[in-house]
Amino acid sequence: MTIIATYNIKGGVGKTSTAVNLAFLAAKNNYKTLVWDLDPQGASSYYFRVKPKVKGGSKDLIAGTRELDGLIKATDFENLDLLPADFSFRNLDLVLDERKKPTQRLKKLLAPLTKEYDIIFLDCPPNISLLSEAVFEASELLLSPIIPTTLSLRTLEQLKKYLKDNKLKHLQLLPFFSMADRRKKMHREIIETLANKHPDILQSIIPYASDIERMGWERMPLNAYINKSRSVEAYQSLWQEIKNVIA
Amino acid sequence: MMATPQYFELPANLTARKFIAKLSKKIDLQIANQQYSIKTFYDSFDWRLYNANKICEFNHSQHISQLSLIDKNSGQLLASEEIEQVPRFSLQFPDGLFRKNITPELEMRALLPLCQLPFESYRLNILNKDQKTVLRLQFDEYESLNNRVQLIPLKGYEKAQLKVANILQNTLKIQTSSCSVLNEALNLQGRKPKDYSSKLAIKLKPDMRADKASKQIYKHLLQAMQVNEAGTIADIDTEFLHDFRVAVRRTRAGLSQIKNTLPANVVANYAEFFAWLGQITSSTRDLDVYLLSYQHYKATLPLSLRADIEPLYEFLKLKQVHAQKELCEKLKSPKYNKQLVAWEQYLNESVPKKGKAGHANQNIKELADSRIWKVYQRVLKEGGAITEKSPAEALHDLRKTCKKLRYLMEFFQSLYPQEEIKSSIKALKGFQTVLGDFQDYEIQELSIKHFSEEMMQQNIPSNTLLAMGVLVQYLDTMKCNARNHFAEQFDLFVQTGNKSTFKQLFNKKA
Repeated sequence: MTIIATYNIKGGVGKTSTAVNLAFLAAKNNYKTLVWDLDPQGASSYYFRVKPKVKGGSKDLIAGTRELDGLIKATDFENLDLLPADFSFRNLDLVLDERKKPTQRLKKLLAPLTKEYDIIFLDCPPNISLLSEAVFEASELLLSPIIPTTLSLRTLEQLKKYLKDNKLKHLQLLPFFSMADRRKKMHREIIETLANKHPDILQSIIPYASDIERMGWERMPLNAYINKSRSVEAYQSLWQEIKNVIA
Repeated sequence: MMATPQYFELPANLTARKFIAKLSKKIDLQIANQQYSIKTFYDSFDWRLYNANKICEFNHSQHISQLSLIDKNSGQLLASEEIEQVPRFSLQFPDGLFRKNITPELEMRALLPLCQLPFESYRLNILNKDQKTVLRLQFDEYESLNNRVQLIPLKGYEKAQLKVANILQNTLKIQTSSCSVLNEALNLQGRKPKDYSSKLAIKLKPDMRADKASKQIYKHLLQAMQVNEAGTIADIDTEFLHDFRVAVRRTRAGLSQIKNTLPANVVANYAEFFAWLGQITSSTRDLDVYLLSYQHYKATLPLSLRADIEPLYEFLKLKQVHAQKELCEKLKSPKYNKQLVAWEQYLNESVPKKGKAGHANQNIKELADSRIWKVYQRVLKEGGAITEKSPAEALHDLRKTCKKLRYLMEFFQSLYPQEEIKSSIKALKGFQTVLGDFQDYEIQELSIKHFSEEMMQQNIPSNTLLAMGVLVQYLDTMKCNARNHFAEQFDLFVQTGNKSTFKQLFNKKA
C-alpha cells in the first residue's frame, strides 16, 4: 500500500482536485483507493457528494475510539472510498497535541487499512502544523502542486528545507505544476526556469482550465463527466508518472 | 463490517419496467445502464469451486465482460475481473485477487462453461437528496426464469439497503432468494450441481447377491470411465485421464479381488482388456505428472540453475503431445469401442437365477468381510516382514496390496458404519502416502536419468544436464526420506486402535 499526501504550505493551489482526480484514475486502474479528507472545509467530501460529518468528530477519531473503517463511505465509483471531513477537523492540531507522540498518530490510525487499500490519498489543509507533521510521518509520497509564480517557488524551497531539516528521508517529494496558464508569459517563463533548477519537478503540467473548475458544479471527478480534454490528459499523465514512482 | 448483498426472486409477471415504475414511486432512483447480457457459469468438471461454496459467473455484454466469484452462502463478491475471455487454468489468470481465490481449489483442473442464460440487465442507482448513490440495485430480466433483483450495499450507507429491502418485502411483497440462478439454469438443462465426483459412492445392500453387487460396482466404474473419456481425448485437463485411469485400475482390482463372483471366462477376458487400457494410458499420465511437477522441480534447484532446466519442459511437452496423440488413436479404435460396449452390455444383463461362479450366490456383506480381512492380513504380513535391509521391490509389493485393500474398502463402504469405515480408510490412506512417495520418487529419479540420456542425443546445453543431475540428487534424497519414514508410518497404521477397528468391522467372529 502507498500513502500519498497532496500538500502545499499555500492554499488554493489545486490540492483537492489533484487528490480527487488521481484517486479516481487509480480506482479506475483497479487500485483499491481511499481518499481521507483532512481539510475541515471538506472540499473532497463535497466533490464526492458525501456529507462532511464524522461520528465523534476529531477527538474520537484521533483517540482511536472508533475504527477508521467504520467511518469510511463508498463513493459513486468502483474501488474508490472516502473518509469524509468534519468541521471539528479545524481543531485537529489541538487534539493531536494532547496525545503522546502526536506526529506518529495518523500512521498508527492508518495501519489497519493497509490490507484493504492499495493507495490512500491524504488531502491536507495548507500550513505547516502538527497535523502536517503527522501527515509527513504517515506518507511515502508528498505530492505538491505549485502554481508557476514566484511566491510558489518560495514555498517549494521552504518545503524542501523543512523536509531536509526534519530529516524526513522516507518521504519523497513530488512537486508538479498546477493551474498553469500558458497564455501568461510569467507562467511559461517560470515553468521553464524552474524545470531546469528543480529537475525533481514532475513532467506533467495541470492546466488552469474551466473544465476543472466545473468539478464544483458537477460534484464528481473530472474524468467522470468529461472523457477527453487537455485537463483529463494532464491528470492521466500525472497519474502515469506517479504509477511509475510507486512501481 | 460491510453489509452483504441481498437477493430477491420476483413473481412471474413482474417485468423490469413495472418494477422500476413501482419502486420509483417510493424512492429516488436513476437507471445507470441497461444492456443485453449473457451469463455463463463456470466450474471444474468435478465442481471444485461449488464444493468450496464459490460460484463463478461470467457476464458478457457488448460493453463489458466481467467474471465474478461469489460466496454461495453469503452472496458476497469475493473477486471480480474484467476480461474478454475466461482463461482455462487458474495460472493463466492475471496475478490478483481472482487468481488467488480460485487457485487452491482448482489446482490443475480446467475452468469449464457449465450453462448459459441470456438476460436483460438493468443497473439502478438509489440516490439520496444530494443525488449521491447510496445503494446499487441490479435487476436481471430472464426469458426462461423468474426475474431477480440484487441489492448491492455501499460502505457507510447500510441504512439505505435496509430501507429498500423493507420496501421490496413489505410493500411490493417480493420474496428473498438464493444468491445465484445457477441451480435453476442447470435445471433447465436437466442437470444439477455436483453431478460428478471422482469419489466412489456405491450403495449396496448387505444381503445382495455377490454377482449382482459386483456388477453394480463395475457399472459405476464404467460410468466413471465413460464420463471422463471425452475430456481425456480432448486433453482438457490432466484429471480426466487421471480419473479414467483410476476407474480402470479399480475395475482391474475388482476383477482380481472380488473373487469368483462372475464366470471365470468373463473375468479372464476383461482382465486382459483392462490391463491393456492401463498400459495404453500410462505413458501420457506419467508425462502429465512430470509436467505438473515441473514448477516444483524447478523450485528445488539452486537459483543459478533454474533457467537451465527449461529444455526439460520442452522435451517433456513434446513427448506428452506425442503420447497423447497415440492414446487418442487407441481410445478411438474399434478394439476399445467394441470391448467397452460388450462390457457394458454384459453388465446390463440380469444375473442368472443361480450364478455359476463359486461366490456368485453368496451375500455381498459376507464376501466383503472375508476379502477385506484377508487382504488386510496380507498387508500386516508383508509390512511386518519389511526391515531396513529389504529391497525396494518389497515396498512396491506392499504398496500394491494396500491399493487392493483400499479399493475393496471403498467398493464396500456402504455396507459398514460410516464413521468407522471412513476412519479406517483414512488411516490406510495415510500409510499409503509414504509408500506412494517412495515409489514416485524412485520412478521419477529413473525417468529423469533416462530422459537425460535421450536429451544428450539432441545436443542440449551441458548446464541442462547439470540441472537434471541436481534434480536426480533431490529426488534420491526424497526417496530416502520416504524409505526412512516407512517403519514409523507402518507402526502408526498397525497401532492397536486401528487393528481393533479393522477386526470389529471385518472379522467380528475372530
